[in-house]
Amino acid sequence: MRWFIRRLGFYVFAIWVAITLNFLLPRLMPGDPLGGLMQRLTPSQIQGNPGIINTFKIMLGGTQEPMWKAYPIYLRNIFTGNLGISTSNYPSHVSEVIGRTLPYSIFLVGVGFILAFILGIGVGMVAAWRRGGIVDNFVMPSLLALAAFPAFFTSLVLVYFVGLKLGWFPLQHAYDTDVSPGFNWAFLSSAFRHAELPIIVIVIVFAGGWALNMRTIMINTIEEDYVGMAKAKGLHDRRVMTRYAARNAILPPLNGFAAQFASAVGGLVFIEFVFSYPGAGWTLQQAALGADYPLTQGLLLVFAVCVIVANFIMDLLNFVLDPRVRTS
Amino acid sequence: MSQIQPLDSVNVPAPTVEVARLRGPERERAGRRRLRVPGWLRLLLGNPKSRGGIIVLSAIIILAVIAPWIAHANPNDFSLIDSRQSPSFHHLFGTTDQGSDIFSQVMWGARSSLIIGAAAALLATVLATTLGILAAYSGGVVDDVINLITSVFLVIPTIPLLIVVSSYMHSRSGVTMVLILGLTLWGFEARILRGQALALRNRDFILSAKVAGEGTWRIIFSEFVPNMISRIAAAFVLVFYIAILTDAGLEFLGLGDMSHASWGVTMYWAQVNSSFLQGEWWPFLFPGLALALTVAALVFILAGVDEVSNPRLRKDRKRGVIRSLFVGGRGARAALDAKDPA
Amino acid sequence: MTGLLEDGVGPSPAVRQETLIELRELVVDYVLSGRRVRAVDHVNLDVGKGEIVGLAGESGCGKSTIANAVMQLLRAPAQVTSGQVLFHGEDLTKLSTEQLRKFRWRNVSMVFQSAMNSLNPLMRVGDQFVDMMKAHERISKNDALARAADLMETVGMDRSHVRSYPHELSGGMRQRTIVAMALTLEPELLIMDEPTTALDVVVQREILQQVQDLQRELGFAVLFITHDLSLLVEFSDRIAIMYAGEIVESAPSDELFRRPLHPYTVGLMNSFPPLSGPLERIVGIAGAPPDLAKPPSGCRFHPRCVHCDPSSHALYARQTTERPVLREVEPGHFVACHLLDTP
Repeated sequence: MRWFIRRLGFYVFAIWVAITLNFLLPRLMPGDPLGGLMQRLTPSQIQGNPGIINTFKIMLGGTQEPMWKAYPIYLRNIFTGNLGISTSNYPSHVSEVIGRTLPYSIFLVGVGFILAFILGIGVGMVAAWRRGGIVDNFVMPSLLALAAFPAFFTSLVLVYFVGLKLGWFPLQHAYDTDVSPGFNWAFLSSAFRHAELPIIVIVIVFAGGWALNMRTIMINTIEEDYVGMAKAKGLHDRRVMTRYAARNAILPPLNGFAAQFASAVGGLVFIEFVFSYPGAGWTLQQAALGADYPLTQGLLLVFAVCVIVANFIMDLLNFVLDPRVRTS
Repeated sequence: MSQIQPLDSVNVPAPTVEVARLRGPERERAGRRRLRVPGWLRLLLGNPKSRGGIIVLSAIIILAVIAPWIAHANPNDFSLIDSRQSPSFHHLFGTTDQGSDIFSQVMWGARSSLIIGAAAALLATVLATTLGILAAYSGGVVDDVINLITSVFLVIPTIPLLIVVSSYMHSRSGVTMVLILGLTLWGFEARILRGQALALRNRDFILSAKVAGEGTWRIIFSEFVPNMISRIAAAFVLVFYIAILTDAGLEFLGLGDMSHASWGVTMYWAQVNSSFLQGEWWPFLFPGLALALTVAALVFILAGVDEVSNPRLRKDRKRGVIRSLFVGGRGARAALDAKDPA
Repeated sequence: MTGLLEDGVGPSPAVRQETLIELRELVVDYVLSGRRVRAVDHVNLDVGKGEIVGLAGESGCGKSTIANAVMQLLRAPAQVTSGQVLFHGEDLTKLSTEQLRKFRWRNVSMVFQSAMNSLNPLMRVGDQFVDMMKAHERISKNDALARAADLMETVGMDRSHVRSYPHELSGGMRQRTIVAMALTLEPELLIMDEPTTALDVVVQREILQQVQDLQRELGFAVLFITHDLSLLVEFSDRIAIMYAGEIVESAPSDELFRRPLHPYTVGLMNSFPPLSGPLERIVGIAGAPPDLAKPPSGCRFHPRCVHCDPSSHALYARQTTERPVLREVEPGHFVACHLLDTP
């Protein structure tokens, strides 16, 4: 129980750091923060967005005030959900933009990551159990070789060869242009179709790492006495592999899952960019290029929170799966 | 008839590297006149994985160095007539939509990627080493604070952070890129190095240095570091390739230093101009392969370093090269139980 | 042949008609990148029905390898190079995977060295019993759990511990659980590999007493492997002494205690002090166990033997070049030593 509270406390602290970082960054740039931001905008942007100065004021919590006065205002804004107004999507609120795009990303990462995890863990488990077998000698190294390539490169290659040349998958965006979002079959099936290739990329990029991790830990777990004892007891081979070896071996990778999540978010940005997939990652990149600071800050915050939540879920899972953690 | 207990050898650096270094020069002096090859290099060249990696990396470095001589075309050339040409004898890697020679871009780009990567890795490794060892050695509050900072850094996703930071910067140059990369990528290695320093903390030589009154910083740099050098080197290689990837990645998104020739920049233009959607594969394939090759070389070197310092991971040669590449893995070092055969 | 010294009660000579396990010229090597390290060198060992055989030797002499060889649980890089392991006359190395699976635990079971690690930390203790029972017979989970609880009681533990996780039990309790688990299917042979090394003396005693009681009641044979000779002298019918992969002496336990013949055995006997009697200086055995990758030529013990003296030329020559053979110098008492060969 106490451990729980400590973890929770840490996560809250981390979120606070993310929020504060967002606050400090524009101010750390040399010169007046508002002036610095205004410098980045082109005249047409200013003219096209009449309320832009106001937006920045909201975002910065009032520019003329010293930092310690602006900070509480800023905090209040954050906690009331007011992340500002997106300059590139004027006059939409940042929260609105994020609300529109985040679900697509979650869908992508959720499905992709889980698939990659299952595939990776499965391959790693079998590769370690039957060393020198087909899985160990062929499937594993292939997965690894694929995972060695940077995410965006793999995406590009796949898009080019499988998408363009072979025409098997749609190449861009989240859904066909003639379909409008909603809970109807046409939209959902189209959305699913468009997500296939990105999901495949995610699986390729991440499964290899999982498999390697699992295999290494399995190899060490197999050496453990209780596995030898299970075999000595005359249990079926498969049962020893799953219930005794894998069940124990899976705990460290599961913890690694949480750590990997941060890098998964990074990879997501690249993949969405290549596919022009309108998720949170692609939006971040576009916003950064377009100097839409409220949006970039809001997205950074959301990403950080997502990673933290994922970590927390992993901690919970660990608690449930490992009785040793429970009694300590 | 006492029970011989197995040694607790978690993350203990391999003394073989240190010993080899001492013996190397002496052995040379004793015998024939030969090139002085430092012991660690000899060890790494002996292992097939790191040997392959070193060879490939050296080749890339050489290409980067001689870039001015082999790539005659200016990478930033603007020539409409030559634009969008597929690879030919005149333009080995083809041209971009602006008519620039991609071969030159890749060659010159090697310089930028390698230098920025190395510099950022250096910065990150120095930070990780200092903070990691300091945390392990000092313990107590200092340890807690550093751990907290590290944990927070590890939890905030790096790429989005870098994107946001980069978007704030007025001007992006090589130096600023090195700075932001170095300051963001030190976290995970700090953790690992701290773990190893913890194992060394209670060794006699540290304790005696402490008793002799040596200052903290002195102990860190002249006692801890020399004995962790193989791990620190491995940390450097790891951050090196991550820095290269991240730097190229940022450029690919249009958020790096876009003014000079580099692999990421070339690929950015390929993506943004949708040239590859029109079937032009050369602007992204060549830089991409160069990137993948460099990263692969570094990963191989890392695997070799792993094997050299951790004999348990060595496999018999019957296995295939790629397959045996990732035998160990840095993250999964469980304690080595030297189970006696009896 | 007398058995236990304590109360003089033990299996009568008549019991030893049927041989349970026979190791015939067993050779086990560890093959590491082309090099062979011989851990078990042409070992012959018998265990009869209901007999308690002790196997003693230093760490690294090959005792655990023999235990694993009997259960056919040798893991790479260890491999049986030659020789046979016979169970009721049947060669175990020739069994199929499924036959072996059925054989294990039902006919021969084992108590491993560190019970702490022998239990799956993520499963309740009772479930680990159930696992095993279901693998060998058709039984419902509830019945299996009930039987597990009964067994726990037999070894002196509370029934409720069936629902505990291993880390919730103390070291001694875990060891008892392991013993209970090993006897569930009423095997003919129980192998105990250093079962008490990790425990304190009091618990050690309790557990061994427990096993003794159960052995008398159920009549199974025991192969007791340890480096602690004092335990064997009390507990076993017969003792075999191993050194550097070979058996150097084997005799009924009280005979071995009274008249140890091999210099190594003598050294071992002199290494622990008697509880009563005059205070004498303890003499250990000089030197260290040999590197099995490069064992000494001739008699493997000769570098450490007090009777090996270069001045007695002929004997010395034999000791350094010829391997001594295990010979029966007295009924039931086997020794492999050049000193006893010369007429």
